[in-house]
Amino acid sequence: MGLVEPLFRDAIIYSSLLVMLSTGLTFTYLTTRVPNFSHGSFATLGIYTTLTLGMLFRLNPYLSAPVAFIISGLVALTMYLAVLNPLASRGAGYLQLMIATIAFEFLIFSFINIYADYLTANFGAIVEQARTIFLRKLDLRVDFGPLAQVLGMRAAGLDEPAIFIIAPATTLASVVLLHILLTKTKFGTGMRAAIENPPLAETVGINVRRAYAVSWFISGGLAGVSGSFWPLAFLGGTETGSFLLVSIFAASIVGGLNNLYGAMLGGTVIGPAEILGTAELSSVFGSWIIPYRPAIPLAAMAVTLLFAPQGLTGMRWIHIVRLRGYGSSS
Amino acid sequence: MALPLEALFLFDVAALLGVYLIITVSLNIEYGYTGIPHFGKVLTVAGGAFLAGALPGRLGLLILQIFPPSEAVRIDCGVAAGRVITSIDEALNLYIPCNVGVVDWLNRFLASNIGFALTVILATLIAAGLFGAFLGFISSYPGIRLRGDYLAMVLLAMGEILRIIGYNYEPLVGGTLGISLPNVFAWAGGEFRFIVATALILLVALGVYLYAELLVRSPLGRLLRAVRDNEVTAESLGKDVTSLRMKTLVVGSAISAIAGCLYALYTGGVIATTYNRVSWTFWPWVMVIMGGTANNVGALAGTSAFVVFRQLIIFYKDRLAGIVPFNVVWLDTLILGLVLIVILLYRPEGIIPEKPSLTLRREKLLKLISASETKPRE
Repeated sequence: MGLVEPLFRDAIIYSSLLVMLSTGLTFTYLTTRVPNFSHGSFATLGIYTTLTLGMLFRLNPYLSAPVAFIISGLVALTMYLAVLNPLASRGAGYLQLMIATIAFEFLIFSFINIYADYLTANFGAIVEQARTIFLRKLDLRVDFGPLAQVLGMRAAGLDEPAIFIIAPATTLASVVLLHILLTKTKFGTGMRAAIENPPLAETVGINVRRAYAVSWFISGGLAGVSGSFWPLAFLGGTETGSFLLVSIFAASIVGGLNNLYGAMLGGTVIGPAEILGTAELSSVFGSWIIPYRPAIPLAAMAVTLLFAPQGLTGMRWIHIVRLRGYGSSS
Repeated sequence: MALPLEALFLFDVAALLGVYLIITVSLNIEYGYTGIPHFGKVLTVAGGAFLAGALPGRLGLLILQIFPPSEAVRIDCGVAAGRVITSIDEALNLYIPCNVGVVDWLNRFLASNIGFALTVILATLIAAGLFGAFLGFISSYPGIRLRGDYLAMVLLAMGEILRIIGYNYEPLVGGTLGISLPNVFAWAGGEFRFIVATALILLVALGVYLYAELLVRSPLGRLLRAVRDNEVTAESLGKDVTSLRMKTLVVGSAISAIAGCLYALYTGGVIATTYNRVSWTFWPWVMVIMGGTANNVGALAGTSAFVVFRQLIIFYKDRLAGIVPFNVVWLDTLILGLVLIVILLYRPEGIIPEKPSLTLRREKLLKLISASETKPRE
């Protein structure tokens, strides 16, 4: 018996990871205007980093987060520098760039699969499973007993997996750090200028290309961290990233693609909606509805597009409040 | 009589080529000519295939209900369902659990009666087209007013819906186990079914290709390009851009649903997992980009290059296994990714670039102008 229902725990972990992913996706969309189709694969790289460090080298699974940040960040940076930037400088449109991210996803996907085969063939006994990865057993547990005692509650058996604390904390920290980077530092101000008006930013001496490159590194890194946490809470594999992509897109669109904080909001809305919504629906309609879980983000996205095409952050809430005000006075 | 392996391989390549050609031509109409980044092609292809999984067997049974067969109904369901079906009503009800038995029984009639088989094929293809059009309308409705990349993401996400339903809702195409289709080409006999099926696919592909050629040369084709190149201009000339984009998607979706349906009829089975994003959205995109957009010859070139290349890798898998240090399965995605990046970087217009649209010949134009000038105004 833990502190909270497993369902709520899963919802919190899932939405934390989704926030990191959709924030990264929106970040690079803001800077280079490319919807990154390989964003999910950056997370898959994180999953395999945790598998390698945790199972093969028997290290603490949380050590994998910084390593995954660097690996996925470098892969994303490579994609930007080697593919997207040369394409953009040749005058490619958003579509060519988008196709290029798909091509890059093919490459990452092949490499991950080759690596999974390699692990199975050479270290099959040590890593156990290289394609259905579930590493909850590696996670540490955090005891909430002392806290409960202080609060005067029943203290026995109140322990939770550490991921329940670490995933939301990491997400919060990365969101806050990103906010500080963008609003309080000179580099961040330059980055925002490069997003708002690239030619003008260049004329005042901002290195737009470097700013964009940094955004790709951060975006890939966040996806890597998110992926590195994934197998500690959920089942992962070579295709996890491409399945997640739909939820990431949905979260970004629900939040409004033109706003970094929208992506955070979108992830916070879509994550619990997927997990709690499925549970709620299955208690009403029966368990046959559970496999239809991926339809929830799609439905949320369709509803958002029909009623607030600019996403939640693009809506003029003040306008709605005013309308209601007039309605009640007349 | 058995056909040699090489012949079967060639027919397989031709059939796959035909199926993908139908899809790429429809994608070319949508993206190449109208500029809609349709990243949800898999939705309608799967729609057509699922319809081919769900409809022909039941349709065949319904037809047999109207024109009852001379012999008594007796279908052994084997160990799985553990019973014997003795009426067509029962066969309809137990179509999914006793799929193989019912399909085997149906195949006997399909083998002996060409008219019956052709009716089923035709009805299924028409139904697939209508279903595809419906899917295209539904899936694009929420996002059709969006622009560019935004629309691409929405269509991509929408494309996933049907696969989820097909995988989980058993009465449609048997869920995780998949479903067998009645062999509507059984009358050709044995392996010759593949030849007949391939011929049908190539015939439909040819029809679609000619339709696309006529379409892009018509005034409508020029209007589509106008919408692609400058929406505001098109709108200022009184063209309803949103409705035009919607109609384009509906037509494109209907065409690609027919492709999915043909593929399912050809392979003789449907399982939801086959209809994934990579095979039916990304690959057609790769083919169109490779061949050259807004250009039907380019779509043909790209599709041929891609399909032949992939099938060759599969055919020579065993020989390649000794050379490549990893499983050959991953070789095609690896090479395709690299080729695609190289093409985007060094030949973004594709193998065969778009040609400027043809106008009338100068003499003919002058004749038309002088004719309209001499005509008295009313």
